Order: sequence, then C-alpha cells, then structure tokens
Amino acid sequence: MSATTAPPAEALPVEVSGTQAPLWWGMLVFLAVDSTIFAALISSYFYLRVTQAETWPPAGLAPPGLLLPALSGAVLLASAGPVLWADRGLRRGDGRALRLGLPLACALAALFLILKAVEFVARPYLWSTNAYGSLVWTIDGAHAAHVLAALLQAVVVAVLAWRGHFTPRRRVGVETAALFWYFVVAAGLAVYATLYLAPRLI
Amino acid sequence: MATLERPPTTTQALTRLWSTPAGLVGWLSAVNHRAIGARFMVTALAFFLLAGVQALAIRLQLARPGLSILSPEAYNQNFTMHGVVMMFLFAIPVLEGLGMYIVPLMIGTRDMAFPRLSAFGYWVYLLAGLGLFGAFFLGSAPNSGWFNYVPLSGPGFSPGANIDFYAVLLTFLEISALAAAVELIVTILKQRAPGMAIHRIPLFVWSILVMAFMIVFAMPALIVASVMLELDRAAGTHFYNPAAGGDPLLWQHLFWFFGHPEVYIILLPALGIVSAIVATFTRRPVMGYTAVALSTVAIGFLSFGLWVHHMFATGVPLLGTSFFAAASMMIAIPSGVQVFAWIATIANGRIVLKTPFLYVLGFIFLFVLGGITGVMVAAMPFDLQVHDSYFVVAHFHYVIIGGMVFPLLGGLFYWFPKMTGKLPGERLGRWSFWLQFIGFNLTFFGMHILGFWGMPRRIYTYLPGFGWDFLNLVATIGAFILGLGFVLYLANLAYSLWRGEPAGDDPWGGATLEWATTSPPPQYNFRAIPTVRSRTPLWDEEEPDDADRARDHTRRMVALPDEGREILSTTVVDARPQGRVLLPGPSLWPFWLAAAVGFIFYGMLFDLILVPIGAVLAAAALVAWHWPREEEEAP
Repeated sequence: MSATTAPPAEALPVEVSGTQAPLWWGMLVFLAVDSTIFAALISSYFYLRVTQAETWPPAGLAPPGLLLPALSGAVLLASAGPVLWADRGLRRGDGRALRLGLPLACALAALFLILKAVEFVARPYLWSTNAYGSLVWTIDGAHAAHVLAALLQAVVVAVLAWRGHFTPRRRVGVETAALFWYFVVAAGLAVYATLYLAPRLI
Repeated sequence: MATLERPPTTTQALTRLWSTPAGLVGWLSAVNHRAIGARFMVTALAFFLLAGVQALAIRLQLARPGLSILSPEAYNQNFTMHGVVMMFLFAIPVLEGLGMYIVPLMIGTRDMAFPRLSAFGYWVYLLAGLGLFGAFFLGSAPNSGWFNYVPLSGPGFSPGANIDFYAVLLTFLEISALAAAVELIVTILKQRAPGMAIHRIPLFVWSILVMAFMIVFAMPALIVASVMLELDRAAGTHFYNPAAGGDPLLWQHLFWFFGHPEVYIILLPALGIVSAIVATFTRRPVMGYTAVALSTVAIGFLSFGLWVHHMFATGVPLLGTSFFAAASMMIAIPSGVQVFAWIATIANGRIVLKTPFLYVLGFIFLFVLGGITGVMVAAMPFDLQVHDSYFVVAHFHYVIIGGMVFPLLGGLFYWFPKMTGKLPGERLGRWSFWLQFIGFNLTFFGMHILGFWGMPRRIYTYLPGFGWDFLNLVATIGAFILGLGFVLYLANLAYSLWRGEPAGDDPWGGATLEWATTSPPPQYNFRAIPTVRSRTPLWDEEEPDDADRARDHTRRMVALPDEGREILSTTVVDARPQGRVLLPGPSLWPFWLAAAVGFIFYGMLFDLILVPIGAVLAAAALVAWHWPREEEEAP
C-alpha cells in the first residue's frame, strides 16, 4: 500500500484525543500566546530593574516576604497532582479519579486565591506607589486571574464529568483543561521565581 | 458501527449538513470559513477605502505650503488613524481573511479547525474597528502616531480620551488576530489532504503558517504594552514614568518587538501570493521550492531580531545597535532568495501576461526598491541622517504598498473567479494596475528626495522656500491617481460580480487543490477529500489544460460518511489520515461572546465597574458556547 492510498474513512476513529485532536493543538498554540504574555511581563520587570533602579526593591521597601508566597506556591504546585490523577484516570477508564480529582484541584486553587488575597491586602505599597509596585501588582494579578480562569474551567469540566459526559475515547475536553492547568502552575513558578526569589538572589 | 449499509455520500446530504440557516439569525450565526473569510476581506477593504480617504486628506493639506485644510489636531488624528487603520484594520485582517478563505481549499479540507472561533474573531474585529472609527468621527481619535510613543501618549501630555481608544481598542482587536492565528496554525498542521506531506505544502500555505506563528509570538507584546499604557493612564501605575522608576523606552522595546515582526507578518503572505501567481502564470512550479519555503521560515525567525533598528536614534548602547544593524541586513538574504527564485521561474516559464501577473511584476520592481532603501536605513550612520524624515515614509510605503498591497490586489484578482464564479474584467484590471503603478511612484518616489532635503515626517504644514513645494504637489497629484486606480480596481470587481463572464472551475489553469472544486465552491468544499501525490496535484498527469485527466486525482478521494460536519484529521508531518473530527455547526454564541468581551473593553473606557460585569457575561457565554448539545450526549 503506497503512502497516498487512503484507508476507508469508516476505519478511522471519530473521537480523537491527544496529538490526534485539533483541539489539543489549538490549546498548545493558545498556551504559546499566553506564555509570550508572561514573558513580556517578566522581561518588563527585569528591564525596569536593570535600567532604572539603583536598589531593588526601590529604597524604602523591604524585599518581599518569603513564607506566605511559598505557602501559596506549594498549594498551587500540589493542585497539579489531582488534575494529573483525573486526566490519567480517565484515560484508563477510571471515572472516579476524574469526578474526585477535579473538585479537589478546584479546592486547592481556591485556597491559593485566598492566600494570595491575604498577601495582596498585606502589601505595604500599591500599584501606584512606584514602578516596582506597578510591576508586582500587575504580574501577580495577571497570574491570579489565570488561576481563577483555570478554576472556573475546571468547575465546568467537573460538572460535565459528574453528568457522565466524558469517556476514555471522548476525553479531549479534559485533556485540554488539564494542559491549561499545568501551564498555570508552571507560570506560577516562573512568577514566584521572578517576584520573590530574584530580588534576594540576584 | 454499522457503516457499510449506509447509502453513498450524496451532494444533497452534504449541502444540508453544511449549509447556514437563512435570515438574520442565520447570518449572525454563520461559521463557514468562506463566509467568514469573505466578511473579513470585504470589511477590511471598506476600512482600506476609509483610510485611503484619510491619506488623501493628508496629501491635500500638504499639497502647497501653509495650507489650512486640516487643523493641526485634525491632521494628527488623520495621520494616526491612517497608520492604525492600514496596519491593524486593513493589512492583517485582509490577509487573515484571504488565508481563512483559501487555505482550507488549498489543503483540501472542508472548514477551519475551529469554525466558531473564526466567527468570534470576525465579530471582535468588527466591533473594535467600528469603535475606532466612531472615535474618529467624534473627533477624539488617537493622535500620537501609529506607534504612539510615551511620554507624548502618557497621562501627562495626552489627557483626553484619544489615546484610551488606542490602548483599549487595539488590545480588544488583537484578540481577533490571535484567534485567527491559532486556528490557521491548527488547520494547516492537522487538516491537510492525505499525502500533502510537509514537502508538498503549497508555498502560499507555508507563508500563512509562518505569518500565524509570528502573530502568536509578536502580538502579545503589543497587548502587554497597551495594557500597561492604559494602566498608567487610568489606574495610576508608573510603567513608563521615569520619575517613579518607569522608563519610556520600555514602550518602544515592547512596541517594536511586536511592530517589526508586524511588517513581515503582512509581507510574508504577500510573498506567498506571489509564489502562487508566478507558478500559475508561468506554467511551471516555482524554482527552488525548498529554498523558498525555508527562506519564508528564516524571515519569520530573523524578523524577531530586528526591532531595535527602529530605535537607533534613542541612544541604545552601540554594541546593541551593531547587532541589530547586522541582523537587519541579514534579512535581505532570505528575501533575496525568494526574488531570485521568482525571476528564475519567470525566465524559464511560458508567461501568460494577465492582470495578476502584472501585479507580480510591479511588486518585484517596487519591492526591490523598497528592499534597497531598507538595507540603507539598516546602516546606523545613514539611519541617523534620515530618521523621522520623509525618506522613511517613502521607504515603508514602497515596502508595504509595493510589497504587500500590489501582491494582495493581484491575489484578489487571481482568486476572485474561485470565490464568485465570475471572471474579473481584464481591460479594467490592466487600467487599474497602470494607474496604481504610475500614481504610486509619483506619490512616493519624490519623498526619498524630500527626506534628503530635510522634510520631517508628521508635520501638518511647511513654509515656502525650502524647495519642498514642487515634489509635494507631485506627490498629491500622484496620490489622487493612485486613489483612482484603487477605486477602478474595486469597481471592476463589483461590476464583474454582477455582470462578469462565468469563470469555470479553473480559469487560469492553476496547480493547487482550490482549482479542483467548483467556482464558487459548494458549502462543503469537496464532495470527498482529495489525496495528493505532488506539489502540483492538478498538473500531475499531463499538460495542465487537459481538464479531464487533470481531474484524475478525484479517483483517489476519501469519502467521509455524511452524518455530520466531518473533516479528516491527518498527521502533522506526513499528512497520513488519523481520525475523523466532527466540527460544530452554526451558533449565535460566538457573536454573544464577542459582544460580552466588547462590553469589557468598552466598559474600560467609561467606568471600570462595567469590567467585572462584562467578565461574568463573557464567562457565561463561553460556557454556553462549549456546552455539549443533546444529540452528542447519546451513547
């Protein structure tokens, strides 16, 4: 059979997932867009630090505290676990992992947002204090908005899962939601390293 | 699945499956790639005409020294809107629309990968574009130039709403460009006809693919820059305020990190159009396919390393500027590879000198001139002399009108028969080409000299006695000839749509798959999915004019079951069939989502309290959009 002799269409699967599914690739390209947004924000952060600031954070501000962000960061990192469990579980046909994993991940994301809110309120400076404040509030706020979006998306997917919408073959919706979740966690690590570690380390 | 006893796929069943409902609701819920692509192109051409009128107003004001046809403020809004509209509301959308229309036909599929996303992108584009022109007619359009430098555009020097329209509406608009880019990439990667492996992708499709990737990596920088600007203006942040630790140069870096690739974003598809036309009208494939495809990719990469050459005059460190000057000159190499490939093809081909080919010849002449001045301004000492002078205006109009608009007009002429089933008028086509070619050179060639003579850009008038009067008058006369050429071109297409000769499936004898289906194509594009064994599937068997045997490839088609809007998904590199994908049908939700997102952005312009309301509406629309329909729930 030569490469261009097409198989009968009936032999091809209808529900595709993973790299076979256009939706999976669509999510990947969307994440490329989103990564570029974070890259531009983080580049702006370092650009202003390098070109404008003599000390960082600017005079009068202490370096950001480490404990609360580390705690919220750990919660965010942990939330990837149940998502992975749900995603892998569905692939094996384990609907329970899906139905339990997603609500658990949502609970962790909600906890992350509460911790972040506490941290935001406790900050001794505002976005309008100086460019440093503008950067921290904007970058951290943009990331928190992403967590909120991932949370809402996971709620919808969880409702569909409880209604029995997904099957091991029809799972691309869960896969793409999981991809977005992993991305938000990874972006959170990059933001954490930029805002909390870099001022002390470099 | 009991598939074997199903009746064979019939055209009636396919038409029923792929049709769009009638009436206003049907119109608002259309998702078909050809309908959406055509809307993009028609809307973009309307904006093109409006921005052209703005250009004529500019030229009238500058025809003689000391005129006061436009007030200084009106002049600023005119030239800013001219640039903003041409770049954001015309050039990118018209090329995306063309890609959306032609690419699925060229790669042998039935629709874009995400049909509802196409519709969403169009509504976002329309809503943002109407807002910008609304601001213009209210007299508060952006007025700081299309690259909108801070501090002029910051809260201190531009207190009015003008710049808010720029920052907010461009961010809104870019959602549309990004949506189109995402789905163009996925469509090209995953939906090519079986056999259209990576070394057989038509060059036009290559150029659209690279354009879409460039949008993905360039546009976010503009979004971030504009959002920061709006935060500076509305929320009191200090990103661009040096008094509080910000830096105005940050805007320039972010803007040009987007803005330089942007130039190639609109150039590359035009190069792809040229490759398509050259092949068809010389009756041979473009020479050096691999070199041309790879140079397209190379231009895409290199264009991200050039942005500082817009900033040579800002005092960036010398080492940095040297690097960017070298990179800017380097991009002439892949551009040159393409030009030589076309020249070699033309030299060896059997030329059919029809209007589309005339536009290609005009393009090669003008693009080489614009390319040469591009290499000149890439040299920093020279750039410092002509920076912000009319030399730069001449340079980028040669590159953009010569490099992008001429191929685009050739391409629209070339694919018009496929889109409408009617042949465009050849006589009027030639008239419009020559009017445009002569008018263009009259308008812009003298500007090189005006630049050398020291005329700065963006001045609303000038005094007599500098020796600028004559060339400015010539430029104004040329601009009106050029405008007449554009009007004649569009009138020709409109008349042909009404009264044109029937075109037939393949009036030019093209080699790619879009010519294998009827003109205009049916709702489902192809009755069965074609397979491909070469780069020129319609020329495979024999001479291209042997229509019967050229259709031979239809014998190897893949028939999809006619149960739903099915398309074939194929592997990324080899294009081997992988699965069948069920596409969603018409829906009103893309329109409602665009309206909700518009509510967020327009809300920002009035009262920030509207933003969370819009966000809730948008989230609700998103859920409704994706909620599975009942029939899908059946096991």
